[in-house]
Amino acid sequence: MEIVQAAMAGTLESSDLLVKVSPHDEGRLELVVSSQVMRQFGGQIRRVALETLARLEVEAGLVVIEDKGALDCAIRARIQAAVLRAARCQELDWRVLA
Amino acid sequence: MTLCTLRRSMLFLPASSAAMLSTAFVHRPDSIMFDLEDAVALREKDSARLMMFHALRNPVYRELETVVRINPLATPFGLPDLEAAVRAGADVIRLPKTDTAADLLELEAQVERIEMVCGRPRGSTRLMAAIESASGVVNAVAIAMASPRLMGIALAGFDYVVDMQTERGDGTELFYARCAVLHAARAAKIDAFDVVFGDLDDEAGFIREAELARRLGFNGKSLINPRQIELLHNVYAPTAAEAAHAGKVLAAADAAERDGLGVVSLNGKMIDAPIINRARRVLQLAATSGIRR
Amino acid sequence: MTEPLEFGTVDPGREPLAAAEIRQLLAACELELEAGVQVFLVCRQGGQLVACAGLEGGIVKCVAVAEAHRGGSLSLALMHELGCLALERGHSHLFLYTRPGNAARFQGCGFHPLVEVPGWATLMENTPAGIQGCVRGLRRQRREGGRIGCVVLNANPFTLGHQHLVRSAARACDWLHLFVVGEDASAVPFRDRFSLVRAGVAGIERVTLHPGSRYLISRATFPSYFIKDRCIVETCDTAVDLLLFRQHLAPALGITHRYVGTEPFCRLRWRNCPGWRSAAARSPPPKCAGCRRRATSPGWPPWCRRPPWT
Repeated sequence: MEIVQAAMAGTLESSDLLVKVSPHDEGRLELVVSSQVMRQFGGQIRRVALETLARLEVEAGLVVIEDKGALDCAIRARIQAAVLRAARCQELDWRVLA
Repeated sequence: MTLCTLRRSMLFLPASSAAMLSTAFVHRPDSIMFDLEDAVALREKDSARLMMFHALRNPVYRELETVVRINPLATPFGLPDLEAAVRAGADVIRLPKTDTAADLLELEAQVERIEMVCGRPRGSTRLMAAIESASGVVNAVAIAMASPRLMGIALAGFDYVVDMQTERGDGTELFYARCAVLHAARAAKIDAFDVVFGDLDDEAGFIREAELARRLGFNGKSLINPRQIELLHNVYAPTAAEAAHAGKVLAAADAAERDGLGVVSLNGKMIDAPIINRARRVLQLAATSGIRR
Repeated sequence: MTEPLEFGTVDPGREPLAAAEIRQLLAACELELEAGVQVFLVCRQGGQLVACAGLEGGIVKCVAVAEAHRGGSLSLALMHELGCLALERGHSHLFLYTRPGNAARFQGCGFHPLVEVPGWATLMENTPAGIQGCVRGLRRQRREGGRIGCVVLNANPFTLGHQHLVRSAARACDWLHLFVVGEDASAVPFRDRFSLVRAGVAGIERVTLHPGSRYLISRATFPSYFIKDRCIVETCDTAVDLLLFRQHLAPALGITHRYVGTEPFCRLRWRNCPGWRSAAARSPPPKCAGCRRRATSPGWPPWCRRPPWT
């Protein structure tokens, strides 16, 4: 999926996360994660995020995540929503989103 | 005999709220309804749909009955909502603004198609009709009988009173609708659900309305706040006397079976199957939520 | 039953009644309605205005929450809605100026501090990856040398005076980094200004030309609505600019000297920066050097002003 515009999904409420996606000016994929529980869960958040992005075939873009203690299911949902908005994609391929 | 599914409390959650989806199961309602319709702003429909999809796949939601209220199929959101909900494994799809049997059949056809495409066992997705208008009320019987997938009908108070050109008040405004929906449900042998009580600060008012619903025969009520769950479960809990009587009925039924008698009697009166089933339900309720406080 | 909160927008230029309501709420929070605000996000409860936040391009201004609603979730919801509104208007990277005491409140709403002028203003941005990304990019363009210079130009337009400044500075250093300030608040659009600069410095060796960055502040973007003393405003915006430069940009490039086209009294001004010199930088502060201007060159950079105390 190609990131063509800046988009965001989610909120900074407790148990949620805010995901901002935008085109990367160097044409590569960069993931920035900030979390209140960075030490304990930073690695896991990154893993889930990269996995989600890989399944969506996102190869370039700046993805910034501000986590407020979200579960994995919320991380996947918000990243997918932000990426789909940033790619202006209307058609959903559920095999890729699952 | 299998115990019936308890559906006293159906907790509404806006699917746009990650916080609520992450914590709602803790309150142990009988079922959870992920709302993609009225509780979600237009701008957030896509994000909420994905939130619901992934939350449903989380193991904690496998243990509760899950309902998804999709947007009407006539909107651009309805069909994508349905695809997501069926594929995610929702137990029940709630169709808002069900006015006719045809509305339900249209939903059923789409659900069949999606089950086949995604490999979900045919018939495993149940349906719930939400009656929100005068048309829905007068067509309640036809709606209730329209599909074997239909497990219940709910009355949705807010939109209904708007359609009736009145307001929510002491319940008089819902009198006929409640009775019509209930009778349709009973005739079709499915469950009936009462309206949402919106005033979270009026606990006494909520209990009064819940008691009315229970006395009328509603299987349960839609809730918008976890605080209402315990209050509602208590309203549905049997009194000590009711539980004791139910115990005696079942004892008599067991004794009759042991003695090979075709007829069960208690205190000189004949007790038939519906009474015995009711006694089982009472004891099930007592076991689940204790005796009425 | 508590009434629901409703969000909406107000165009302060075209809706005088709503603007008056906003002005009242701001006054209750000791703020003024800043002239440049293009749109306000407002929050009402039962028809009553309870919160507002303004946008001028990508700058957040005039954020106020009625006292009764402070400390709850309204601030978070307000700033989130503002972010959505800004995104709809094409701005995903937002800056916000506030009194240092309020910075923590905004930090809880997704803003991250950049620099603080102690006692006066804190500049924040709405991403944890903003300045760091910029700094990483700059580090890749570091050059080795004992004397690394820097010049920041608005170049509206680029003149012989500017060219002289750049040439003198490059001659005096092992390498010179040249920045062109980015906003289109000037008369000549950025693209054209940049082209003129590129052409103008083409013959000068040991120069890296960087396009402007949002982290080089210009007077046009600095809001003054929360600092009543106009004199302080003038020094404050340069303070923010200098602090950003000194704490983030200069260390990334290893800059040791910053050159400004100036007369001696301006050099005195840079040296006598009140207050913010105590905001320590981790690397030694760049020396500020003046270049004597040629008598014939017109067009001073706009940031060189006679200081208020002379």
